[in-house]
Amino acid sequence: MENIYKPYLMEIKEIIDETVDTRTLRLQFRSEEDKKRFSFKAGQFAEYSVFGEGECTFCIASPPTRMDFIECSFKQVGKVTNALRRLNVGDTIGFRGPYGNWFPVEEMKGKNIVFIAGGIGLAPVRSVILNVLDRRKEFKDITIIYGARSVGDLVYKRELREWQGMSDVRTVVTVDPGGETPDWKGEIGFVPTIVEKAAPKSDNAVSIICGPPIMIKFTLPVMMKLGFKEENIITTLENRMKCGLGKCGRCNIGNIYVCKDGPVFSYSQLKVLPQEY
Amino acid sequence: MEEYIISLEDLKKLADNLIKEGTDLFLPSPDNSRFVRLKKADELKLAPEARPSDISAKQAAFPKCDPVLFYKRDKSTVELKDAEPSANQVLFGLKPCDAAAFGIMNKVFNWDYKDNFFNKRLENTLVIGLACTYSDDYCFCTSVGLSPVSETGSDIFLVRLSDAQFAARAVTDKGIQFVKKYSQLFAKGDSSKSKPALESIKGPARKFDSKKVKDWLDKNFETDFFNPVGDTCLGCGQCAFVCPTCHCFDIVDEDYSYSEGRRMKNWDACQFSLFTLHASGHNPRDNQAKRYRQRVNHKFKYYIDRFKEILCTGCGRCSRGCPVTIDIGSIVTKIGNLT
Repeated sequence: MENIYKPYLMEIKEIIDETVDTRTLRLQFRSEEDKKRFSFKAGQFAEYSVFGEGECTFCIASPPTRMDFIECSFKQVGKVTNALRRLNVGDTIGFRGPYGNWFPVEEMKGKNIVFIAGGIGLAPVRSVILNVLDRRKEFKDITIIYGARSVGDLVYKRELREWQGMSDVRTVVTVDPGGETPDWKGEIGFVPTIVEKAAPKSDNAVSIICGPPIMIKFTLPVMMKLGFKEENIITTLENRMKCGLGKCGRCNIGNIYVCKDGPVFSYSQLKVLPQEY
Repeated sequence: MEEYIISLEDLKKLADNLIKEGTDLFLPSPDNSRFVRLKKADELKLAPEARPSDISAKQAAFPKCDPVLFYKRDKSTVELKDAEPSANQVLFGLKPCDAAAFGIMNKVFNWDYKDNFFNKRLENTLVIGLACTYSDDYCFCTSVGLSPVSETGSDIFLVRLSDAQFAARAVTDKGIQFVKKYSQLFAKGDSSKSKPALESIKGPARKFDSKKVKDWLDKNFETDFFNPVGDTCLGCGQCAFVCPTCHCFDIVDEDYSYSEGRRMKNWDACQFSLFTLHASGHNPRDNQAKRYRQRVNHKFKYYIDRFKEILCTGCGRCSRGCPVTIDIGSIVTKIGNLT
């Protein structure tokens, strides 16, 4: 009998501490067969589990162009994420997925792309950024604008440095006022302000925005001012989920299942949804 | 449709045969609180005049606690074992409002990914429905496309002709095969026997237009209509737990030793305040009015939008059992009158 609730088993190959409370796990399938069978697209998510503690939902933070590892990044907030933090290299976790829809990377070919992320919202965006960078020639100008509360809260620091060193990528990193350190060389200001200042061009452009709701709320008007079309602003919703399969009945917004019809939505799609997210 | 006659005595014989063959028989308990296993065939009682059991029959296919896999941890490795739902059961005397629920839930459990825990149980379940002569102020099956005599969801449908005699209709292939197997107990009949009995059943007095309810819900998401019921509702979730169609669940791990445990699908309810709470502390449905709005919308709008079915059979259990006398029937009747 096919069991949709049965996870793959994955081994933790490497643990990377991003911030004081955010950690990235590099995972590898325990079974070669599972590894061969598995594929996903940037933006999809999965249910990760610690056996005995339960499951929790995060995006896949690595790109489909790098299949040696699956990576996830999570903040320590609840029962399962605390249990995940107690695990060591070599330990086994459960992985169910990939679920949901994905960022329209194929439709973005030949376009300018503006990535905007706040805090741990960079995780799903990182999957697309790395995906796009691995296929750099297919896309035009790339702008990355990323902000966190403080310098200590910036995730993926090694990659931020890498992107800042690339000549064909414009990377702007900012921290909230008061979150800077004496040697901070990046921008200081909230993400919407910095987006307005950086003023990425909206011609032939697609923007992917992920971050806390408050950041998205204030960034959207800026994007409209810069001339971005609603259908070209893409974001993800993070409603609470259990099954990821369109059954357990809690992630819905109106008649939309975020786990099946999302988590990726354009601003024009979001605008017609009831305010319940 | 093939119609047969079967006496209560022969129904008991049938039950006896089934029990001896190792089939599980379930029927409403004598106090009508829940479905229980029939242990002795001569205790079989079919009561079309009884109110719907307090708890619905949905556990037959969607148990309250359902193991989906077993795990065993050993140092850093984990071994998984599949849980295999076993069911070989006959449900006796289901009200039409219970029988119809399986087909409704079937939609959500199979629209995309297939939940074989639900499917396998349903596959191995034979539903013997019973025309219902009960109705009270809470019943409203006729407003949601059903009736006290609808055969939807039944494999075999019984109509009481007298205290000792029933008409039996073989509704589905499964029902036809079943009757064939026990043909010595079923005598050939015809609809002239059951017709007067069916026609004498009046059905519930309460009536509303579910289309009008949906029309209003389509246009009124932002509304203060649900504020009074939100103030009253305790968020206890009994409505969802007694409901034949509520199918929301949680996924929970249960250790039963230091190294072993099982992963469960457990019933959950949209009326619980933690149901949609994010890890960040944000809650999209942060008050009871919003949670009640979800309940009404899920049943009378969203499920129709997605699956073309009303997620309600009008059994009235949620209202009969509500500790603060919230009556969904009167709420949707009010909504229907708003348009």
